[in-house]
Amino acid sequence: MHERLSFFVKRDSPIHRLNPMTKVVLALSLVLIAFSSPWYWTPQAIFLLAIIPLTFIARVVKEYWSFFLKVILPTVSFLFVMQALFLPGESRIIFEIFGLEVTELSAQLAFRNATRIAVMVSSFTILLLTTHPSELMSDLTRRGLPGQFAYVIIASLQIIPQMQAKAQTIISAQRSRGLDTQSSFFRRVGAIVPLVGPLVFGSLVEVEERAIAIEARGFTSTRAKTSFHEIPDPSSERVIRWLLIFLVIISLALKLWLS
Amino acid sequence: MQNVAMQNKRSDSWLNIKKDFNTMTWVLMPVAIAINMAVGQIVATLRLPVYLDSIGTVLVGVICGPWAGALTGALANTILGLTINPDFLPWWPVAAVIGLVSGICANYGLFKSWWGVVVSGFIIALAAAISSVPISLLVYGGITTGGTGLITAYLVETGRGIVQAVFASSFLTEPVDKITTAMLAFAIIQGLSKRFLARFPRAENVETDEKISQTQLIIAVAVVILLILFAIFLLGRLTGA
Amino acid sequence: MAIVNLQNITYKYPLTDVPVLKNINLQIEEGQFAAVVGPNGAGKSTLCYTLAGFVPHFFKGELTGSVEVAGMESSQSTLDEWVLNVGLAFQNPFNQISGAKYTVFEELAFGLENIGVPRDEMKARVTNAMDLTGISDLANRSPYSLSGGQQQRVALASILVMQPKVLVLDEPTSQMDPIGTREVFGVIRKMAEQGMTVILVEHKVEWIAQFADRVIALRDGHILLDGTPSEVLTSPILEESGFGISRYTSVARKAQGLGLWKRDRLPVTLDEAVEGFSLSPSVPSSSQSLKGGGEQLS
Repeated sequence: MHERLSFFVKRDSPIHRLNPMTKVVLALSLVLIAFSSPWYWTPQAIFLLAIIPLTFIARVVKEYWSFFLKVILPTVSFLFVMQALFLPGESRIIFEIFGLEVTELSAQLAFRNATRIAVMVSSFTILLLTTHPSELMSDLTRRGLPGQFAYVIIASLQIIPQMQAKAQTIISAQRSRGLDTQSSFFRRVGAIVPLVGPLVFGSLVEVEERAIAIEARGFTSTRAKTSFHEIPDPSSERVIRWLLIFLVIISLALKLWLS
Repeated sequence: MQNVAMQNKRSDSWLNIKKDFNTMTWVLMPVAIAINMAVGQIVATLRLPVYLDSIGTVLVGVICGPWAGALTGALANTILGLTINPDFLPWWPVAAVIGLVSGICANYGLFKSWWGVVVSGFIIALAAAISSVPISLLVYGGITTGGTGLITAYLVETGRGIVQAVFASSFLTEPVDKITTAMLAFAIIQGLSKRFLARFPRAENVETDEKISQTQLIIAVAVVILLILFAIFLLGRLTGA
Repeated sequence: MAIVNLQNITYKYPLTDVPVLKNINLQIEEGQFAAVVGPNGAGKSTLCYTLAGFVPHFFKGELTGSVEVAGMESSQSTLDEWVLNVGLAFQNPFNQISGAKYTVFEELAFGLENIGVPRDEMKARVTNAMDLTGISDLANRSPYSLSGGQQQRVALASILVMQPKVLVLDEPTSQMDPIGTREVFGVIRKMAEQGMTVILVEHKVEWIAQFADRVIALRDGHILLDGTPSEVLTSPILEESGFGISRYTSVARKAQGLGLWKRDRLPVTLDEAVEGFSLSPSVPSSSQSLKGGGEQLS
């Protein structure tokens, strides 16, 4: 398990150097265009012409493809198969197996949907591979995201691995006391309490003291916050962001107009 | 003479968003999100036919308020979806609805007895099912990954309309999961000291004068079993002629 | 001028019937180092919370009397104003880590970001606080990867960085190992020597006796004793109550009963004990071994 929960890989690349907001807008634009554009081949085009080149420019090729093979591909393939077999619609049957039919229409739609999901997950993955959570949150806070939101997100990223480790410890401890994850259904149901109990209560106890500790550090201060990190935001990037938003609007407009 | 009065016991309207959020809420939220994930993981390790990955969300909804619950759900799915399993990602509105509805149920006093909790679980399940339909259709064309998707697929094959099928499949898997979730959240709250709960914005949602009795618990479990049988019956009817 | 002025303070937590603090009157001068001792349940933590403004603003409940600290008055100020002037650190170092930052440097800057301190000043204050607490070499580590003693020093530094006028410490070494304890006490002593007003709740009376200006003994929500360390810690009232007694005091008291301790004042620290025993003329010839430690006396 990772000590901290984040994709971020420290590299020197043009993408890494981009302002976090630019990367967020880029990721969201790719997703929105992939989902809304009326042209059938949009998701595939985005994947080939945007996602893949981006992984090279950002120098995260190895990390991205490793994640793609381990997580994205299985999910998306399963989705494709399910949808190809079960999406309704009348059209020519191209394939039949065990009484289930794959029609031309269902195959097309399945492919499009699967690619859309691949684009969505890939965009965000690239965003996370190239942006440190602290920097992302600092930038968003500077632009108006309430500090408390940033707190919750970063704290979650740090607490989740701790909780996972705790859960593993409790599971092992209970296993050594005879817990059997292969045993009968009712025994497994009964195992919920001694597993979940200590984990939950142990973590809830900390909440009060931590609340006092962050209050003591001005968490509820109403003064304007300052940021320790200085994150540059050149005007060229601002232009890029508006351009991307413009493209999204066009895509949405086309979809509305053609439907 | 300086006198600082105790927090007002009257349940404020659930529409009051600000009330939900004090420092304890903000500190609880990451812990709740981690609980969602850890319990979901434990349940998967135990290979039980439920998800139980919203316990933290429901907890926040009940003792902090519906809007805090909604935010917890949304952030939980987003964070877990971006870092552990992308399957979670598109479902963030459903998670938000779960948090919102638990908070509203608690605000109307449903989390003060096992009875109320079972009813809440049912209502949450209904809300979750309804809110998953548009996402299912929009993002996946109705056929999602996972068990629910398989049921949908089966129903479509047997001639039901896609919307009907999606709704029906969610409707069967959700109640068991959500009622159990609500009951576990309630059990956790029972195990916390009153002093601790008093720190949260809507502690009045779980204030009870008498202790929760064993018989109430037994009745609640019985109701859940009946519901499961009913769901199986419904499935039979839906797939019948 | 008293920087802390509590008058007739009585406080009850919500949902309880019995007040935890009963009619407390306490004045502390600026720059004083006051220690608070008492058995569990005496109200020491509640007193700390009151000085730090968390009672009543965080805990609610019923507070009567007037609380004035560093020019603020409890009913007039809000908690976010109060924490600018009073720093609070407590037992569990892990729970004092915010979770919001990935490195120690940023963790220290967290509070300053919240209160809007400009970036340059932030850097200066953080570097300074790290020097004071001896954690400069930990600047880029994750706070979660540190030992208990290191984490507690990070917690202290996070508070010092806010430049409070009063420092309230609730048993900061209770969960430390001996090394951690020494590290933390080192920081506290440095702050006290630099003129910070320090209020420290502690059980380790021998250390308090050496460095505190004043000891306040609390029991059942009342102030039992209030005076210099030697006055309070050797008082028979404390002996009766069964807390806050140093080993050396106990031993010397027994010796006094046997006529072997000739001085009027009982010792609290090892040095005082050694000094007191070695000047006694009726001690038998093994006075050499006594210089090594008063415990040798049977």
